[in-house]
Amino acid sequence: MQIFPLHPFLPEGDIPALRQQVRDLVAQHEARWPIELRANCWFSFDEAFSKALGSAGLLGMTWPKQYGGHERTMLERYVVLEELLAAGAPAGLHWIADRQTGPLLLRYGTEAQREKYLPGMARGEIYACIGLSEPGSGSDLASVRTSAKKTNEGWRINGQKVWTSGAHKSHAALTLLRTEEGSERHTGLSQMMIDLDTPGITVRPIIDMTGTHHFNEIWFEDVLLPHDALVGVEGNGWKQVVAELALERSGPERYLSSHMLLVALIDAMGPEPDAPTAQLIGRLTAEMWTLRQMSMSTIAKLAAGEDPVVEAAIVKDLGNAYEQALPRMVQAAVDADLAGKSDLSRLLTWILVASPSFSLRGGTPEVLRGIIAKGLGLR
Amino acid sequence: MSDNRTLLTDMAAGLFADLAGKPFDVAWPQVAEAGFSTLLVPEEAGGFGGDWGDVLAVLRLAGLNALAAPLAEPVIAHYLLAKAGIAAPEGLISIAARGQRVPYGRHAAAVVQVGGGTLSLYHADACAFDEGLSPAGEPWDAVSFIGAAAATADCDVDLLALGAFARVAQASGALEAAFTLAIDHVNTRVQFGRALAKFQAVQQAMAEFSEEAAAVDASAAACAAALDYGHASFEIAAAKLRMGIAVDRAVPIAHRMHGAIGFTIEYALNHLTRRLMGWRSEFGGDAYWAELLGRRVAGLGGHGLWREMAARTDRLVG
Repeated sequence: MQIFPLHPFLPEGDIPALRQQVRDLVAQHEARWPIELRANCWFSFDEAFSKALGSAGLLGMTWPKQYGGHERTMLERYVVLEELLAAGAPAGLHWIADRQTGPLLLRYGTEAQREKYLPGMARGEIYACIGLSEPGSGSDLASVRTSAKKTNEGWRINGQKVWTSGAHKSHAALTLLRTEEGSERHTGLSQMMIDLDTPGITVRPIIDMTGTHHFNEIWFEDVLLPHDALVGVEGNGWKQVVAELALERSGPERYLSSHMLLVALIDAMGPEPDAPTAQLIGRLTAEMWTLRQMSMSTIAKLAAGEDPVVEAAIVKDLGNAYEQALPRMVQAAVDADLAGKSDLSRLLTWILVASPSFSLRGGTPEVLRGIIAKGLGLR
Repeated sequence: MSDNRTLLTDMAAGLFADLAGKPFDVAWPQVAEAGFSTLLVPEEAGGFGGDWGDVLAVLRLAGLNALAAPLAEPVIAHYLLAKAGIAAPEGLISIAARGQRVPYGRHAAAVVQVGGGTLSLYHADACAFDEGLSPAGEPWDAVSFIGAAAATADCDVDLLALGAFARVAQASGALEAAFTLAIDHVNTRVQFGRALAKFQAVQQAMAEFSEEAAAVDASAAACAAALDYGHASFEIAAAKLRMGIAVDRAVPIAHRMHGAIGFTIEYALNHLTRRLMGWRSEFGGDAYWAELLGRRVAGLGGHGLWREMAARTDRLVG
């Protein structure tokens, strides 16, 4: 059994031109991005850049034109994504709408929901977040308790979500709720698209250990939603969420979180580094190059209509291990002043502190290896 | 995959499985007889007319079966001789990359060496060997040339890199075979009243093992695609280095899963893991390739690295 047969990545169209389009766009905006922002592109917010991406047709790329999309291929979208990530371009605003919420609405949403949200998402003007975790419900998502009660006037929502990235910048939250009173585990759950300006909703910040605000708590106190806030089928929420999470694991974002540090290391060491530094750069390059081959193969398999669950988990686990080891290896090898002002110092300090989060979002190594083991028939 | 490749891999899979565990003097004549040596020689020159993807597929199977015979060496030697327009002598032809021992040198009828832009073909009577053995017990013989080359030609090929690619390809197969042994073992071996595979710690370790095998598979395939395109120096350096990392991580897991059972000379695992340990050093070890790749990347600059990597895969499209 070959575990990872390489699926050739053969996008159609003029790929070098597409890359150049992204690079030119980045060049027009990058002057206002501090270096730390470029090392934190998931949670960096730049509305003008998100809108510029939208105007350039680089958001909602694969969506139908009738919803503001551009009907381009998954592989073209992948090229755009990897270019943006390698450049450390801020993605915090449009990220979730483009990657998860938009595709989920296309798959499960009503016509009205698609028309309401998708064109704005594709323009880079409507942003979304995902309401999953709760105070008592972290890795074990099936234990969510925030409830939606069906009444004549609509759904009544009560409860609390937590760790909701970007909620304070978002227009809507795709939220997992218990719609069947007394139901247990995976049954009785549904997804709803909730506009965050609805009365009774409070969004409160949680500051993370880098000092950044992206996490939030969302409180729902007797919030009244129209009946048509339901996304997909009532009671089918668990299955829909699992499909949504699968969209999280296959992208190039799983090995490029620390890339700006590698860029800074190479530039700081110059064209003729000493042997140990050259070896460090070589080793990091080898791992990154391999991860890129694996990531491209996984997306190509997905684009071909297959379901590369194990491959995606492998890329994420190896990718997270690499992007977390990178700052530690650089720290061990380079005598860096962590309070210094150089790009290398600032990036190293930032990424060292940020790196524990890389293997949290989208599943810890233990969770991912459990998925792989299951795929290998070991459970 | 071409029809030819399916035929080729079917034949190789059958033959190498038969030869698994057989010594050189049994294995080599059958490998030679099957004609694998001319895999990369064009059909019009009497060869198989294959590409590097075919070479990967066959070498992977050789590694998977721990074939105790040279295969990469004659394939590369015949390829270089055909390119140079030099007629290949009869018998085993091995390769002498710079600074490297010659695999199966003592059994070779001839040796191809590349250095300073020149390919030289030496017959066995022009070679003196200081015999040695790889960690797996295969002949690794240091060569001194004591006679004149039988033929020479201009050659800009990096023989060390081709050898490194061959070892990555073989390692991808050996890792799969070791992984399969470990899976079978943990699924059948019962301890504490249940199969080892039921223990979460075992599952996690096996998942990690699979990731390393996957990384080598992917990097080997990417190298073959780059070689078929025509330039693979960047890819081979990265892949050989990644293979070293994979050996570092996966070999200990393979043995941990097996306990003492896997540490015996009779059990098949040692033929795989001893080869993997040797291949990590052969045709350039981690330090060599890391420094070479690192210097190249340093010359590209921080953003240049990404641009180079993107351009190297974009060229394969269209």
